[in-house]
Amino acid sequence: MTLLAQYFVTGIVTGCFLILATIGFSLTRRVEGFLNIAHAELLGVSAFVTWGLNVKAAWPFLPSAIFAIIFTAVVGLVVGRLFYDPIRKLGPAVLLISSVGVAYVIGGSVDALVGTGIRTLNIPLATTYRFFGVRITDYQMIVVALAALTGLSLAVFMSKTKIGLAIGAMADNPELAASRGIDILQTSRATWLLSSGLAGLAGVVLALIATLSTDLAFHQILQILAVAILAGLGSLYSVMLAGLIVGIAMDMSVFWIPAGYRPLIAFAVVILVLLVRPEGLSGRKSK
Amino acid sequence: MNIEQLLLAVLTYGCLYSVMTVNLNLQYARGGMINFGTVAYFAAGAYAYAIFTQEPPSGLDQYAFGFNSPWWVGFIAAGVAAFLFAIVTGWPTLRLRGEYLALTTFAFAEVLHSIFLNERRIGNGSVGLSNVNRPDFSWIGMSDNYGFAGAAILLLMFTAFLCHRILASPYGRAIDAVRDDETAAEAVGKDIKRLRFEIFVISAVPVGFAGALYAMITTLVSPGLFTAEVTFFVWIALILGGEHTIKGAIFGTLALILFEEVVRSFNFETVRSAEIAASVEHIMTGIIFIMILRWQPFDRFTKKEAVQ
Repeated sequence: MTLLAQYFVTGIVTGCFLILATIGFSLTRRVEGFLNIAHAELLGVSAFVTWGLNVKAAWPFLPSAIFAIIFTAVVGLVVGRLFYDPIRKLGPAVLLISSVGVAYVIGGSVDALVGTGIRTLNIPLATTYRFFGVRITDYQMIVVALAALTGLSLAVFMSKTKIGLAIGAMADNPELAASRGIDILQTSRATWLLSSGLAGLAGVVLALIATLSTDLAFHQILQILAVAILAGLGSLYSVMLAGLIVGIAMDMSVFWIPAGYRPLIAFAVVILVLLVRPEGLSGRKSK
Repeated sequence: MNIEQLLLAVLTYGCLYSVMTVNLNLQYARGGMINFGTVAYFAAGAYAYAIFTQEPPSGLDQYAFGFNSPWWVGFIAAGVAAFLFAIVTGWPTLRLRGEYLALTTFAFAEVLHSIFLNERRIGNGSVGLSNVNRPDFSWIGMSDNYGFAGAAILLLMFTAFLCHRILASPYGRAIDAVRDDETAAEAVGKDIKRLRFEIFVISAVPVGFAGALYAMITTLVSPGLFTAEVTFFVWIALILGGEHTIKGAIFGTLALILFEEVVRSFNFETVRSAEIAASVEHIMTGIIFIMILRWQPFDRFTKKEAVQ
């Protein structure tokens, strides 16, 4: 029983990481209207910038993480302006296929600069705490706290600030938003900055809890897709719920089936959701 | 690597991958289906070939089946395996459209990859099956390299001919009609679901054959050979060659393979420089991909031809 509880807790941590990784992806999907495969590569960019500053340049962890997040946000904005904006009129399928090309460019650049091998950050070792026989490390608690904090502040941002409301309006109906006097271009840029910044944050978290290798980023996209599809085109809250469901399902599955099949659970979720309920948890149909 | 070997490798692998590109062309450019799981049918073919032709397991082998059949039985089995997998995956997914179809096919391919990786009884897990049997070409006085290059060319010609016949027939025009306007096609009495399903399944079979040929050439099948990279490669080749034509699909693949083989044929002093070259190859491929999708030079070219 304790073991099952342990898997459940680990699942929550995985789910919280997935929430952080997917919020940005989901935002791009709603506002720009396509699945950005290259989103996961931005996690890699952020993780390796953090690593480069923290280990190679011997910066303390916090400033390197903040720099990495800002850097990733800018990279995301530049990529969006340079690669996606000119082809937006060609439709979501072409944008999706293009984003594979973008993922190649970003992934290849990270590979060329960093090289293969396994790396870790220069941070203190994790301290493990025990609650009723269930272990959790301080870094895992940070992940959960960050996910909660991000979700909360994003919810406030989207419902209270002018830019947040504009992004929401554009996600719902771009034409209507434009006719009501919202600056589409500016809102789109704000979205790219925001979603890439969130990818940056997720990348930092990834660097905290995982050992880094250059193919790490690509493996995240599969789980991100699973969460995003399960959430559907809905609000922030459906992403958070979907992230927790996928995370807990993946980690608890290890209790019954071999651990090698853990990533498979994410795909089983994708296939099942698309076949049974293509509109996802939120129930909103795509336009 | 000398020029002869380089050209032979380009021809062999180019034709092999072209089989996939041509079929993707049939599915995407004509059928309007985005299949992001092409590699799964390729892998199904390769594994089926290996399982049918290998000897029964002995010693440290973990795989459960080996039928020790002659190569042509394995070859047919490869086509059948791809066919069956296409039925299993196509049946539930084809009512989905666009990016959603792309995602489910992608997910199915990853599922198959994961099963090959984890289920050791199929093909030794991550180790894979090595020393796969291959047909002998000595009886017609050909070296293996030339023999397989010839086989790849034959398979490509067969596939291209099949695609050409399908698309030039009234059946092909029905497929075009479904892609252009489903409602209109349905209104004149075309069974859309059935047409899409048939195209999906038919086009998977040559990919399975290509998988068998690939297993013969490399004499190795392992999960590491059949990753999403293969799917992306075929997509990039298809876009590179300009969609909509069989010729374009083939030239695109040959050009991309040539590019890769030339990069690989350089001698690198250190491991690090080889790594950088591989990454730069990735970046270049990505940039070419993005540029072609953005400016669509081939579309404009074909349109110009149509006007004249």
